[in-house]
Amino acid sequence: MKRHSLVLQLSGAFLALVLLSALLAPLISPFDPLAQNIMARMRGPELAHWLGTDQFGRDILSRVLYGLRASLIVSSAAVALALLLGGTLGVMAAYYRGLTDRIVMRVMDVLFAFPVMLLAIGIIAMLGPGAMPTAIAIAVVYTPIFARLIRGPAMVIAESDYVLSARAVGAGDMRIITRHILPNLSSVILVQTSLMLSAAILVEASLSFLGLGTQPPEPSLGTMLSEGRNFLLLSPWSAVFSGLAILIAAFALNLFGDVLRDTLDPRLRGNR
Amino acid sequence: MKAWLGSTALAAALICGGLSGLGAPAKAQTLQVAVDASPAGLDPHIITAFTSFQVVNGTIYEGLTGVDKDLRIVPVLARSWTISPDGKTYTFSLVPNARFHDGTPLEAADVVATFNRVLSRDIASPLASRLAAMERATAQDATTVVVTMKEASAPFLSSLSTIAIVPRRFEADKDALQRAPVGTGPFRFREWQPNSFIELSKAEGYWGQGRPTLDGVRFNIVPESATRQVGVSSGQYAMLANIDAATALQLQGRPGVRIAETLELAYTLVGMNVSKPPFDNPRVREALNLALNRAEIVQAALFGAGVPGGPLSPALSEWALPVSQFPCYTHSATRSQELLRAAGHTAPVPVTLLVLPRQDIRDIAQVVQAQLNRAGFRAELRIPELGQFIQDWRNSNFDAFVSTNAGFPDPDDYFFRTFRTGGSTNVFKYSNPAADALMDAARVEQNPATRREQYNQLQRMVACEGPVAFMTYGQLFTAVRDTVQGFDIIANRSLSTLSTTSIRR
Amino acid sequence: MSYIRERALDLVIVLFGVSIITFMMIRLIPGDAVAIMLGANTEVTPERVAEIRARLGLDQPLLSQYLTWVSGVLTGNLGESIWTRRPVTQEIAAHVWPTLQLGILALAMGAGLALPLGVTMARLRGQGFDIGLRIGSVVGLTIPSFWLGIMMILLLTSFAPGLQVLGYVPFFEDPLGNLARLALPAFALALPILAHLSRLLRSAMLDALQQDYVRTARAKGVPESQVLFVHALRNALIPFVTSVGIMTGYLLGGAIVVEQVFAIPGLGRLILGAISERNYPLVQATILVVTVSFVLINFAVDMLYAVIDPRIREARRG
Repeated sequence: MKRHSLVLQLSGAFLALVLLSALLAPLISPFDPLAQNIMARMRGPELAHWLGTDQFGRDILSRVLYGLRASLIVSSAAVALALLLGGTLGVMAAYYRGLTDRIVMRVMDVLFAFPVMLLAIGIIAMLGPGAMPTAIAIAVVYTPIFARLIRGPAMVIAESDYVLSARAVGAGDMRIITRHILPNLSSVILVQTSLMLSAAILVEASLSFLGLGTQPPEPSLGTMLSEGRNFLLLSPWSAVFSGLAILIAAFALNLFGDVLRDTLDPRLRGNR
Repeated sequence: MKAWLGSTALAAALICGGLSGLGAPAKAQTLQVAVDASPAGLDPHIITAFTSFQVVNGTIYEGLTGVDKDLRIVPVLARSWTISPDGKTYTFSLVPNARFHDGTPLEAADVVATFNRVLSRDIASPLASRLAAMERATAQDATTVVVTMKEASAPFLSSLSTIAIVPRRFEADKDALQRAPVGTGPFRFREWQPNSFIELSKAEGYWGQGRPTLDGVRFNIVPESATRQVGVSSGQYAMLANIDAATALQLQGRPGVRIAETLELAYTLVGMNVSKPPFDNPRVREALNLALNRAEIVQAALFGAGVPGGPLSPALSEWALPVSQFPCYTHSATRSQELLRAAGHTAPVPVTLLVLPRQDIRDIAQVVQAQLNRAGFRAELRIPELGQFIQDWRNSNFDAFVSTNAGFPDPDDYFFRTFRTGGSTNVFKYSNPAADALMDAARVEQNPATRREQYNQLQRMVACEGPVAFMTYGQLFTAVRDTVQGFDIIANRSLSTLSTTSIRR
Repeated sequence: MSYIRERALDLVIVLFGVSIITFMMIRLIPGDAVAIMLGANTEVTPERVAEIRARLGLDQPLLSQYLTWVSGVLTGNLGESIWTRRPVTQEIAAHVWPTLQLGILALAMGAGLALPLGVTMARLRGQGFDIGLRIGSVVGLTIPSFWLGIMMILLLTSFAPGLQVLGYVPFFEDPLGNLARLALPAFALALPILAHLSRLLRSAMLDALQQDYVRTARAKGVPESQVLFVHALRNALIPFVTSVGIMTGYLLGGAIVVEQVFAIPGLGRLILGAISERNYPLVQATILVVTVSFVLINFAVDMLYAVIDPRIREARRG
């Protein structure tokens, strides 16, 4: 138990560090991420530029921090939207059951049937590339995942004694859902959000890498990697560090979600 | 012309003969070329993009004329021609022993059918405008084609180099050549595995004596730049054709790799929409020219491999004026701001730049954006997907765009379509009667000196106030393994010299 | 039996929904899809636009468009590539093998390595090795495969510049060359699978080790290695099998980017190429074919699961 909370604290602190450096990018970045300096381009790591400079002489560290922020914004927007849509649909399906449940879940099945990247690419092919279409595409592909994940536990809670008794004393549907069902789902939601954010960062990076996501000059990690790979033999720094940053962000979120799940899931607890 | 052809053919024959004399190849020699993108199709009259052009031009297909490495127009399938004094009748005499890859001999009727095909509305060839001056073509006998013109056309012979001659049976066929091209060139089409490779093999019985030396050419489609670079470094690929400066720079000095280079005909530009503010005002257009620091763009985006350029490529040394003749090419952010104030703009002028989604152009656009923002503009970039870009470009749905335009051996091909009122790529909606008059006159002018003077005037006229801010002409590179011999790079990106290329073992 | 019937009904509904979404894709493009398709060609006549629109059936009412399209699909006619007029089924067939082979190799690599790793992690649970591997597995799950691919290419040039392992040759043309070329991309794809499966196996093993029959076996004095590999592992393999469905979806997505990096002419390249040249019929058909295969694989896995583990038929109801 004790060791568990230590691991949780450590992974939480690591995640907080990553999130803070992204959020505070404008404050802690040593340079303007868009400022070009052709004379000092494609430098390796050095004292002035800790991670070196890219093909336009822009500071890679600053671009990584801003890129991290941009990637997190797109991913969080996407996951928030998916959570809102999928969560609502999942709770509705669980609470009302019957026909509502069947219809909602069949529609979710259809969306879930598409491989994630394929549907995202298809949506962007139709909407055109950019940060916004990327967020929408990711939200659409993640909606059914949230709906499915939330429906199960929501169903158990909706059947529980205290919900039944709340209903017996005449509480309205809205009140039961917001007061009794949602609070009890918070741990599931927290764990899943953290894991899905980790996955969303990877999808956003893949799409940007393919030239379909966030567009330059905005620094997104996938776009930086995509641009940097053209100079791989000459100056690999941009590609190396942007990829590393994607890995670190996705890692921090995934680790946190993973540890949190172990901590909250009583079934697994005994195994440690 | 005729004597000239004779000597080239002889020289080519001697060189090739000399090489093959060194020892018959023990094993089939197939040149492995890596290219970045798969062509959408191989019909030379329908798909004119570089991805397709570099695979078929001068390899599978030939025109009546061609372009040599010094950008001179040379005879190819027409071994000679005569032009009537009024410039309205061309009589072409075809090479006698040329055959299509399907075995049928090349005859005048094929040339006539080809011209009709290009002009047919049903085929909707983008090359149709190249033959716009033509009235009709007739086959006088099996080896003689007579072309009657509506009016004299100075660039006609140059235009003909872009028209691939195809067998007459394809005149009304829109589809067959897209997949399986049939031409008269030194290589015949063998196999196309989409997204994997296109393979050509030596055309037996090719009319050009002693050519080709290679047994085949395989275009490997490798989308990832780093992968192509690694492939040529390791010797898996023998040639990276038509690469940009960034790639060339990284390959420079690698053991076993040699870089061939030449100055491009294609240019990068900022195109401005003169039908709406702010670029409807010539002063604002001049201000944008002044805002650009072309030398810096060359350094930043082309890694120094290129030159600032005006309306014509400096590679066309006969025609192009030096940039020192255009006052607005001397960069000055303050002059730009003054002009903008004079035009009534007190605050930074907001402009959205539509950007062609290609890596080198994205790079240039980012530099341009930074420069404009230092000189009184507030530029934003919009980088859509390619199809959307073309759509917006064609519908003049932009303030300004950053892109690249192909270049040609003749100035008329640069100017007429771009600046003429109603020109086919005049998406800027530019209309200037004085410029129109010059273009019309130069197009039919038979006297080279007068024609040059007309184009000089035109260049000065459009350089600073025209709808296009010409930026740079880059160096074009091709990286080859040092065992590859006899290959010459040509500024129009044709790989036609593959016919004289061989691999030393 | 009724479980199978119910799942089959679900399957039909899902396939119907998939067909609707795929069908609508072309029709939801903002602007004129045909004009965008013709793109670069500046001399396209209105007649040509009308001809292509008719060829794609876009001039018909929506419902009859859908019916024509679906009946075409059911009879194996998915339309033709807008540029080459080659049937799209042919294009897809030409690109299936590299992706399939890449996926199978990656799955084999991932599963093959996950077995010993997962068992070891379970046996040494809580020790440094286990913790190290768990952190390693999170790294494996979150490492971007395209970045890994690029880094491998970078290392390759630095340390083995003469090696020719890029591109693709068909297996039956040159088996060794084929495997040499697919090894790196398959490894880049396999890493997340390895991470996922070894974690899955670890917890399934831990579960199994708690079960009564394992305790009984131990009490009877069965050797520990036999307990692990025969009793526990056999039961732990069930979730292993069922995650093949999830893996397929992941592999398809991963393959799109990895094929791009390693120049492998598979389905990912096909679809990206089709998008960039706005070859919508090809985009549509590829998405449909891949998704339907994905749905069918998942259905098969579900059925398999129900056969292996009868309890699930009840548990999955509802």
